[in-house]
Amino acid sequence: MKRPISGGAGSAAGLEVALPHPRTTQPGGFTRFLENERLLAALLLTPTVLLLGVFIAYPFVMGVWLSLSSTSVGNPGAFVGLKNFVKAWDDSIFQTAFKNTFVYTFWATIFKLALGMWLALLLNRHFRGKRLVRASMLLPFIVPTVLSTFAWRWMFDPTFSVLNWLLYQSGFIVTKLPFLSDGVWAMWCAIVVNTWRGMPFFAITLLAGLQTISPDLHEAASLDGANGWRRFWHVTWPLLKPVTLVVVVFSIIQTFSDFQLIYVLTGGGPANSTHLVATYAYQIGVAAGLLGEGAAISLFMLPVLFFVVWAQLRYLRRMEGA
Amino acid sequence: MIERRWKKWVFFYVPLTVFVVGTLFPFYWMLITAIRPDSELYRSWRAANNAPFWTLAPTLDHFRDLMAKTTFPTWLWNTFLIAVASTAISLFCGLLAGYALARLRFPMAGLLGTAIFVTYLVPPTLLFIPLADIIRTFQLGNTPWALILTYPTFLIPFCTWLLMGYFKTIPRELEECARIDGATRFGAMLRIIFPIAVPGILSAGIFAFTLSWNEFIYALVFLSSPERKTVPVGVVSELIRGDIYFWGQLMAGALLGSIPVALVYSFFVEYYVTGLTGSVKG
Amino acid sequence: MDKPEREIDSSLVPAVGRRTFLTTAGVAAGLAGLEGILAARRAPAFAQGTKLHIVRWNDFIPEADVELKRQAPEASKALGAEVTFEFINANDLQPRITAAIQSGSGADIIQMLWNWPHLYANALVDVGDVVEPIGKAQGGYYDVFSSTAKVGGRWLAVPHGTGGNAIAYRRSWHEEIGVKEFPKTWDDWREVGKKLKAKGKPVGQALGHSFGDPPTFAYPLLWDFGGAEVDKTGKKVVINSKGAIESVKFMQAFWKDACDEGGLAWDDTNNNRAFHAGELSATLNGASIYIVAKRQKDKLKNDKGEPLFQDIEHAALLPKGPAGQFALYGAFQHAVMKYGKNQKLAKDCLRWLHQKENYGKWFEVNEGYTVGATKVWEDSPMWSKVDKPLQVFRQAARQTRMLGFPGPASAKATESYTKYIIVDMYAKAVQGTKAEDVVKWAEGELKKIYEA
Repeated sequence: MKRPISGGAGSAAGLEVALPHPRTTQPGGFTRFLENERLLAALLLTPTVLLLGVFIAYPFVMGVWLSLSSTSVGNPGAFVGLKNFVKAWDDSIFQTAFKNTFVYTFWATIFKLALGMWLALLLNRHFRGKRLVRASMLLPFIVPTVLSTFAWRWMFDPTFSVLNWLLYQSGFIVTKLPFLSDGVWAMWCAIVVNTWRGMPFFAITLLAGLQTISPDLHEAASLDGANGWRRFWHVTWPLLKPVTLVVVVFSIIQTFSDFQLIYVLTGGGPANSTHLVATYAYQIGVAAGLLGEGAAISLFMLPVLFFVVWAQLRYLRRMEGA
Repeated sequence: MIERRWKKWVFFYVPLTVFVVGTLFPFYWMLITAIRPDSELYRSWRAANNAPFWTLAPTLDHFRDLMAKTTFPTWLWNTFLIAVASTAISLFCGLLAGYALARLRFPMAGLLGTAIFVTYLVPPTLLFIPLADIIRTFQLGNTPWALILTYPTFLIPFCTWLLMGYFKTIPRELEECARIDGATRFGAMLRIIFPIAVPGILSAGIFAFTLSWNEFIYALVFLSSPERKTVPVGVVSELIRGDIYFWGQLMAGALLGSIPVALVYSFFVEYYVTGLTGSVKG
Repeated sequence: MDKPEREIDSSLVPAVGRRTFLTTAGVAAGLAGLEGILAARRAPAFAQGTKLHIVRWNDFIPEADVELKRQAPEASKALGAEVTFEFINANDLQPRITAAIQSGSGADIIQMLWNWPHLYANALVDVGDVVEPIGKAQGGYYDVFSSTAKVGGRWLAVPHGTGGNAIAYRRSWHEEIGVKEFPKTWDDWREVGKKLKAKGKPVGQALGHSFGDPPTFAYPLLWDFGGAEVDKTGKKVVINSKGAIESVKFMQAFWKDACDEGGLAWDDTNNNRAFHAGELSATLNGASIYIVAKRQKDKLKNDKGEPLFQDIEHAALLPKGPAGQFALYGAFQHAVMKYGKNQKLAKDCLRWLHQKENYGKWFEVNEGYTVGATKVWEDSPMWSKVDKPLQVFRQAARQTRMLGFPGPASAKATESYTKYIIVDMYAKAVQGTKAEDVVKWAEGELKKIYEA
C-alpha cells in the first residue's frame, strides 16, 4: 500500500513510502520481545552505553581518583584528598591559564558568532558561484587543526613572518610586530586563529537555519515597511535563536577545552601567558609526569562546562514553554 | 538604480570578498610554501629579495620528499582507516540510541539522554591518562584499535544528538500506520524510519569523519611507532627535525592531509546542510 | 594411540623408539625442521622476529642520525634481532616517556636528557652491569653523570654523551666595531651587543619553553651572579637572594639593549635559523650552527656571497659574572624501560653501541656537537682534524654543573626544570615585571616543589 506523507519543510517532505506487507501470522517470540518498548530501548542503547561506559565513565571515575592522589609517572600514589586542587588554585600559572581560558572562549565565541552570522546572511543570497564559495568557506573547519595552525604559526614567525613583511613593505611598521613573542599579542593571535577556524561552522549551521525561514516572512515584513536591519532583528533573529543557542553551546564546549591550537601555536608561551587549562594540564600531567596534579587541573573545567550546558537547557526549556 | 548598485557593492560584494580572502589566504600561503624551493623560504622579513606571494621557480620537491622520505602515505592510510571505522561505529551506536531516545518511551529516558550528552563535556585531557591504563589492560597500545574504540566517545554524543533531532521531525503517524498494518516495531524502525533519516545519517557521518580526522591528543598519546601514526601526529612529530622545521614539507603534508576530508565534503556538502536543517528544526 | 600428524622418515628417528618420539614430537609437527627450532633455542639469539625499538631525539646534526640508522642493520645482525631507531622532537620526549610508562608499552630504550633518570627512576632498569665495564675501559665517566644517571647508588641509565654549548658569533661584525676577542664579562657583552643591535644585528637568545637553549642560558646566568635555586642540601629554597635579583636586573637591561626581542617565542631552532639568515650577531648554541653552516656552505652565505661558516667563531663559555663563570651542558643517556620485554637484548644493544668502533664513528660524525661521556674521547684523532672553532668543545664536559646546583640533581630539580621556572623568571622580567617581584614569584613556585 502506498500512502503519501506530508511533512514539514524538513527532510520528510513529499515522500512516498512503500509499507511492508501486512503480517498474516503471529510474530515469533523474539520479535514479540522487541515489541516491548522498554526492552527494545534497552537493546538499542546497549552498544552506546557499553562503549561510553568503558571508555568514558570508567576512566572518568579513575581520573577523579587520580586527581585525589599523589600519583606521578611510574609511582602509584597515595590518597591526598583535595591537596592537588588547592595547589592548583594557588598556582599563579594555573590562575593565568584559567583566566586565559575564559578570555579566549569569550572573545572567540563572540567573533565567531558575529562573523558567522554575517557570512550566513551573505551566503543566503543568490549569486554566481554560490556553491563554490559555500564549499570553500568550509575549508578552515575541514583541515586538521594542527596543520592549519602550523600555517598560521609560520605566518607569525618571529623572524620570517609574511605579515610583518607585508606591513613593512606597505610602510605601516618599522620594527616587527611581536605576534607570538608578547603575551597579550599571542593571546589575540590565538583568538584570531580560533575565529578563523570556527567561523565556518557557525556560518554553515546558521545558514541551514536561515534556509528554514520561509521567504514569505521576509516579504511580509518588508511590505510592512521594515528595512534590512529591522527585518533581521525582528523576523530572522527570533527564529534563529534555537539554532544559534545550540551552536554557541557546542562551540563554547569545544573552545573552552581546546588543546591543539595553543599547543601548536605557542605551546603555552611566552612564559605561560597563553596557557589554557587543557594545555597546562597536559604540561603538568604528561610533560612533567605529575599525573595527579594534571588530572586535578583538568577537572576544573568540568563545573564551568556543566554550568554552560545547564544554562542552555534551562533557556531552551523556557523558550519552548513560552 | 545606481543607489541600489552602490549598496549592493558595499554591503554584499565587498564583505563577501573580504571573507573569502581572509578565509582562504592561509591556504594560498600553504600552497605557495609547499611549492617554493628551500632557498627562497628562509628569507628574513626585512630582506629585500623576499617575495613571499609568488615564486618563479616552483618545485615539487617537497611533495616528493614527503612521500618518499617519510611514512606519510602510511599516515594517510592509517588516518583514513581509523576515521572510517570510528565513524561507522559511532553512526551505528548513534542511530540506535537516537531512535531509542527520540521515539521510545521508557523509564530514565530523559536521564539517559542527558547522561550521554554530558559525556561530551568530559575533557580529553582528563581522560587520556586513565584511558592509557585501560588501553594497557586490553593490550591495545600502539594499535589503531586504541583510537577506533576511543574516538566514538566524543563522536557518539554528537551523532546521537543530531539524529535524535532528525527523528523528532519525522511524524509519528508513519510508524503508527506501519504498525497498524502489522509491521513490527523493529521492522518499522529499520525499513521506514532509517531510510528517511539518510540525509541526517550522512550529515552526522561527515561530521564524525571530520572530527576523527582532526583528532590529535589521543593519537599523540596512544600511538608510538612511525608507521602507526595518523597524519596530524606524524606531521607534527616527524617534520620538525631538530633545527629545522621542514616548512616546505610541512605545508605539503598539510595540503595532502586535508584532501581526503575535503573530497568527502565536496560530495556531501549539500547533504550536510540539509541534514543540519532537518535536525535543527527538531 | 597417537596418530602422527605427518609422516616422519624413520631414518631420522633415534633409537628412542618411534612412538615415543612421535608422541613428543607429534604435537609440534607441521613445522619443517624440528631440529632447527631446537638449535635456535640453544643459540644466544632471541626468538625470531624480536624487535628492539629505540627512541632518541632528532639530532641537531642530522648526519648523526643518519649514522645511527646506518648502524642499525649491523647491530641487528650482531644481536640477532631487529633494531630500529625512531627520532622524535626533543620536546616530545618527556610526554612520550610518560605515555609509554603509563600505558606499559612502547620503546625498549628511550633517551634521557639532563637528570631525567631521577624523575622516572621507578620505571627504569638497573644497568650498572653495562655502565661500569664501559667506564673502566674508556677512562672513566665525567663527574656530571654520577649525578644525572645514578639514582640512589644505582646506575639507571647508560651515559651516552654530552652536548656542549658556546657562543657562536660573527667575527667580521665584531671586528668592525673594534672587538677582536669576545667580551669576557657580562657587562662587556652588553656594551658590545648594544652597539651591534643599533646596527640591526642583535644578540639572539631563546627564552621560550624548549628543552635546550633557554635553560643552558638561564641557569648559568643565575649562577654567574651568585644565585641558586636551593642550598647544598637541596631542601631549602634560596632563590630570593641579592645575586638572583642582580642577575634578573642585568637580564632586563641586556634584553632591551642587546637582544632580539622575539626571543620570547623562540624554541631551540629559531636562533639557528635566524643566525643563518644573517639576523643575529651572536647566540648561545651547541656546535650545530657552525657545522650546519659548513655542511651547507653553498646555501648559507653572508651578504658578500661568501660561505657563512668562515665568519663564525666560538667563545667557549658564557661571559663571567661577579660570582664566576659557569656552564650547563646537556647530559645524554639511554635508559632501559622496565615495562620492556627485551631487557637483556636492550642491554646488549647498548653495549654494542658503545663499542669503540661503533661509537667512534658516530662520535666523529658529530664533529664536536656531542662529545663522549667518557674521558677517552678527548684524545680521539678527530680533534686534530676538526676546524679550529670547534676545538672549544673538546673538554666541554669537564666543566658543566647540573640542574639543582648546588643541591643534588634530584627529581625535584627536574620538576623545576620541566616547569621552566628559572627560564620564566627571566622571561617575565624582560616583559616588564619588577626584578624583586619576579624573584619572589620564582621563590613561591620553587617552594611548592622543593618544600612541598
